Amino acid sequence: MGIVEEAHNLRMIGKGSKTVVLAHGFGTDQSVWKHLVPHLVEDYRVVLYDNLGAGTTNPEYYDFERYSSVQGFAYDLIAIFEELQLQDCIFVGHSLSSMVGLLTSISHPHLFSKLILVSASPRFLNDDDYYGGFHQEDLSQLFEGMQSNYKAWCAGFAPMVVGGDLDSVAVQEFGRTLFNMRPDIALSLAQTIFQFDMRHILGLVTVPCHIIQSSRDLAVPLVVSEYLQQHIGAKSIVEITPTEGHLPQLSSPDILVPVLLRHIRDDIADAK
Amino acid sequence: MPTPVGVAKQCLTPDASRALEEAVSVARRRGHPQTTSLHAVSALLSLPSSTLRDACARARSCAYSPRLQFKALELCLSVSLDRVPSTQLADDPPVSNSLMAAIRRSQASQRRQPENFHIYHQISQQPTSVSCVKVELQHLILSILDDPVVSRVFGEAGFRSSEIKLAILRPLPQLLRYSRSRVPPIFLCNLTEHPDPGRRSFSFPFPGSFGTCDGGAENYKRIGDLLCRSRGRNPLLLGVCADDALRSFTEDVNKQRDGILPVELSGLRVTCIGTDISKFVLENSDNETFSSRLKEIAQMIEQGVGPGLVANFGDLKSLVDENASNEAVNYVVAELAKLLELNYGKFWLMGAAASYESYLKFMGRFPSIEKDWDLQLLPITSTRPQDESPRHSLMDSFVPFGGLFSSPSNLKGPLHGSYYCVPRCLQCGGSCVQEVLPASNERLSADPYQSNLPPWLGTADLGITKGLNGKTKEDSVRLDTSESGPIKKLDKPSQHLHDTQQFPEAIPCQTVMSSRCSDGEKEDVDNHSRKISDASPSVYIDLNSSAPIAEQMISTTHSSSPVPVVSKSDQDNPIAKAVEILQKTKDLDSGDLGSCNMSNSSMCDGGQLSPSSVTSVTTDLGIGISFSPTSNKSKNPTMGGLKEIASPLSSSYNLVNRDVFKHPAQSSSCLSSDHSGRHDLINPKILLEALAKKVTWQVEALQSIVKAIAYSETSRGKCLGANQRGAIWMNFVGTDRIGKKKIAVSLAEILYGSQESFIFVDLNREEINGHDAKFRGKTILDVLVGELCKNPLSVVFLDNVDMADMMVQNSLSQAIKTGKIIDSCGREVGANNAIIVTSFSVQEDQWNCRPKTEFSGYSEERISRTKGAPIKIKVEHVIGDTRSPSLTVLKCSTDGVPNPIPVNKRKLSCDNALNDQHKTSEMAKRAHKISNCFLDLNAPAEENELQFTDDGKPEGVSTATLNPWLQELYNQVDETIILKPYNFDALADRVLNIIRRSFHSILGSECSLQIESEVMEQLLAAAYVSERDMEVEDWVEQVLTGGFTEIQQRYSLSARSIVKLATCQEQAPGVSLLPPRIIVD
Repeated sequence: MGIVEEAHNLRMIGKGSKTVVLAHGFGTDQSVWKHLVPHLVEDYRVVLYDNLGAGTTNPEYYDFERYSSVQGFAYDLIAIFEELQLQDCIFVGHSLSSMVGLLTSISHPHLFSKLILVSASPRFLNDDDYYGGFHQEDLSQLFEGMQSNYKAWCAGFAPMVVGGDLDSVAVQEFGRTLFNMRPDIALSLAQTIFQFDMRHILGLVTVPCHIIQSSRDLAVPLVVSEYLQQHIGAKSIVEITPTEGHLPQLSSPDILVPVLLRHIRDDIADAK
Repeated sequence: MPTPVGVAKQCLTPDASRALEEAVSVARRRGHPQTTSLHAVSALLSLPSSTLRDACARARSCAYSPRLQFKALELCLSVSLDRVPSTQLADDPPVSNSLMAAIRRSQASQRRQPENFHIYHQISQQPTSVSCVKVELQHLILSILDDPVVSRVFGEAGFRSSEIKLAILRPLPQLLRYSRSRVPPIFLCNLTEHPDPGRRSFSFPFPGSFGTCDGGAENYKRIGDLLCRSRGRNPLLLGVCADDALRSFTEDVNKQRDGILPVELSGLRVTCIGTDISKFVLENSDNETFSSRLKEIAQMIEQGVGPGLVANFGDLKSLVDENASNEAVNYVVAELAKLLELNYGKFWLMGAAASYESYLKFMGRFPSIEKDWDLQLLPITSTRPQDESPRHSLMDSFVPFGGLFSSPSNLKGPLHGSYYCVPRCLQCGGSCVQEVLPASNERLSADPYQSNLPPWLGTADLGITKGLNGKTKEDSVRLDTSESGPIKKLDKPSQHLHDTQQFPEAIPCQTVMSSRCSDGEKEDVDNHSRKISDASPSVYIDLNSSAPIAEQMISTTHSSSPVPVVSKSDQDNPIAKAVEILQKTKDLDSGDLGSCNMSNSSMCDGGQLSPSSVTSVTTDLGIGISFSPTSNKSKNPTMGGLKEIASPLSSSYNLVNRDVFKHPAQSSSCLSSDHSGRHDLINPKILLEALAKKVTWQVEALQSIVKAIAYSETSRGKCLGANQRGAIWMNFVGTDRIGKKKIAVSLAEILYGSQESFIFVDLNREEINGHDAKFRGKTILDVLVGELCKNPLSVVFLDNVDMADMMVQNSLSQAIKTGKIIDSCGREVGANNAIIVTSFSVQEDQWNCRPKTEFSGYSEERISRTKGAPIKIKVEHVIGDTRSPSLTVLKCSTDGVPNPIPVNKRKLSCDNALNDQHKTSEMAKRAHKISNCFLDLNAPAEENELQFTDDGKPEGVSTATLNPWLQELYNQVDETIILKPYNFDALADRVLNIIRRSFHSILGSECSLQIESEVMEQLLAAAYVSERDMEVEDWVEQVLTGGFTEIQQRYSLSARSIVKLATCQEQAPGVSLLPPRIIVD
């Protein structure tokens, strides 16, 4: 077992000619796709992996410097593709991983046939001519909270992000995976995520992008999806699903899974 | 010739001469070399009860609001003034020719005035007459308005000089003056900004110098210009109001207002870490918070759009504070320097120092800080105490008027104006701050003040309150920080890196100069270097201390005269020259404060240096060469002299120039050229010695390496001009892998200060993948670029270049041509400051096939692949008389150890050589160049010298078999260095000797010792790889001796006993080459 496989808990299941790579976002692990995977395994080869820093990965492998930018995760993704000898995959990325996918696709477009971006945002922080949803003060508060009491922070953050009741299954689930992360890693990761700004690279993307967005998402305002579509260099499509929260695949699988399946199956039609 | 102020004043009436004084002070404040008509206009406009301003007010066009037009005039004037180059002055700027001409004109016209005609006519009979005509202010103004420069400025602002002149000639009745010509709302706004009416920086339509109110814009411009520069790009604002300037700059930039920054910097962001630093330093909180803050910044830089990020480290005071923890300050300084270095071009530092003292203190603690932080002093000149002189007292009188004439009709304008004025006006003076502060506190606490104000001022006042709030906070911090901490001089030679060196774009001007000199006057310089060197200490001090200013000037002067003139007279009279330089340095530094707004004017400064100083500078450059490697002949003798001279000189500087004395350590370190990390100055001899200490067995190769470095150092300047790479590319050829690597590591250590600067890249992809999880997903290029980004000053060792894949090949070819390496994501990093060492693996077939004699049975290849295994001792008894020698190395069949190299060309050819030695020697005769590669280790060392290292590349030597890319690379490298194969036989002899000694001393000379070749190889490998010389010796003493002793205790040894040293092959790997204990069978 190679280092990549071990570090990322790589799993390849299902059969089919096409490969779907499922990449999770912050505070979760590959289990976030559990509702989707059963629907895919019949027709696709499904690759699941954990981003480093997730609770299921070995914290020893977490390199604070490497993962201080999205580029580090992109390298990981490339390594995974290399390890599995994958090419021309359908990449489904959630949140952070959607950006990782975008970034990787710029330097390695041959690896992807399309990108499906779930709850993606190129930048969470507001800017003069950009509304990302977060103020710098919000973030400082957030980081402070993470530092002072991680558990309490998780308990507050999970329902906020998922957008459900405190005792809903999805919140419980996200809270679990979130709390699984080592606090310092979570903090560093959160800093990476909330500080990154991928807006400038959007224009360089050449792989078709499907943007899937909850109609109510605390982390990603609707305008961001619009922004993404306008700025992504390749052809792109936005679907706003009637779901709530940043993790629709977890909180409303009944709505999101069919949507995802449709996007995985179908490509964007060429404009006439 | 400009006229001294005193002379000019003789021609003026007291009124007019006061105006001139004012003009002079404007010029001085701006550091302008001469007082021109523009300064005069500026002064005239700011004078109280200014005739000119009144005239302007009356002559203004009705199309614009008076405020607007005055604002326009103000802007136009300050723009034109900004165009005037600034310089350092010792004295009042003399009156320029144009202004003097205006004075003369007014004298003439005054004489023509009918009412005066008679008097002057009489006077003019006397020869000295003209100067006796005292010019009245009015006439002076009139003739100044005739100056085309001035009338252009007025024209730009929408005034017509002729109309103004007319207005001046026909003044209005005194009574109407204020109501018409003053613009009341402005006073209101002033009132709001300056709660204490007695204070200066009264926001007039024409504030004294355009520096107070408009100082903001001017400062921004200067800061922006600084930020654009390639070196000395991190502004340290200096002056009482620097802090405010800094804060308003930060605010305005972050508000993304237009026009603050040059276009190329638009989008720049500023982040404040001042409070973080002061908190960290003063409260001595743990590193964690601060370092995470730094990390944040690093992230911001990395992810940032736009040109980059400026970190505002706030007031320097917190760093020099007495209560500050030294460690914390060191940490801050080092970390910021690191950030700067890593993110060159995208990251700036910015700070403020209220007084020169705190800056000095800081410099005292961190002598190299100017370089490390690439700092550039930027005096905020708009308000300096001595300039406040006459204006204030006069201006004060207007305050009541402002109140009196306030008219509610213009409400909107002033409020707006005041809002914008707040940050600017807060700039006025730290002294002022002190007074403002209590006032503001009072205000803050005692709210009723607001009710004193007209209700419509409420908004504006809020704005101020806010501004002052910030002020209060900051100030309390500042007050906490009491003065001087112990000044500790930190000598960090490794950090004395010449900042330009780090960056490919910035040509190290010293190098450029020296190399240029070397072209033109090399011989001359060599001949005279002894003499010139007398002056050189001062040069060094000069360059180092008044760093960017001097250097820029020098580079300018230099570029204007590509072939330096090392004039004979200068050389003959070194002392005179030294004095001259001394004077110049003094000039430079005495003007330091006032004249650092050199952003766009340094070029002109250079031009304005007197010819003599230009020559002296040029000569200095010639001296630079005596430190540069080409002339190492002349260096050694001068070295001692230099040092001697340096000390008295620098102490004499002490009197003149504090600045210089701050870096005694630095300058002397330069002179003694210890490993201060500046390899443009490093002595090749010393470099060679240091290298030879590390890699003792490759002296010839080292010589050519040093030569290559020296050569490219001198030619680097030339190269850079012509779009060429600046990196030094060397190709190490030879079997001696460890040697290659060791040389590269040592180079990194010696030239760049630490092993951190050594980047090892094995292009044999499989190996790199295997050994570091960190590299997963990255291509080799990504790794290389990443490392080079982190540390552009590196020695890169590319092993197995021939195994490079397509992408690496392309990138390397590109790099060798353009000096830039591009990674798989398209990131680009300049490699101009790196030393890149390549090493081929196939090539070794051709180069290093040496005939193996019976004795040189150890191949580098085998030995470097030797794995550690436990060593055991057995005792055997031999029946019969063996007469074996007392010590033998048992030769195992090489077959026993399978050779893991897949392509074994070398082995084959070596075998051939073994089989047919005769043939080899014949070959050697045929192609004697090749024969050099066939080293006979038994021959004396002199004969082993590789002759062709002298002429650089052994061109055409057996490169035919290389693939075209390799061949190209091979031809393009600066230098091919041939390393001798390591002399394992000598090493083996040494090791055997040690073992023998130990064996005999314990077991006596009777029995014999047999050492398996595996053991021997293992020991040799250990010795070969080891960092220290004595490692094997120590091991024998500590471990093997123990084994022998144990044997002796256990067995009774006779002459027939053979003690055998063998390895236990079956053992698990992971044992070190020198096992910590010996197994006794």
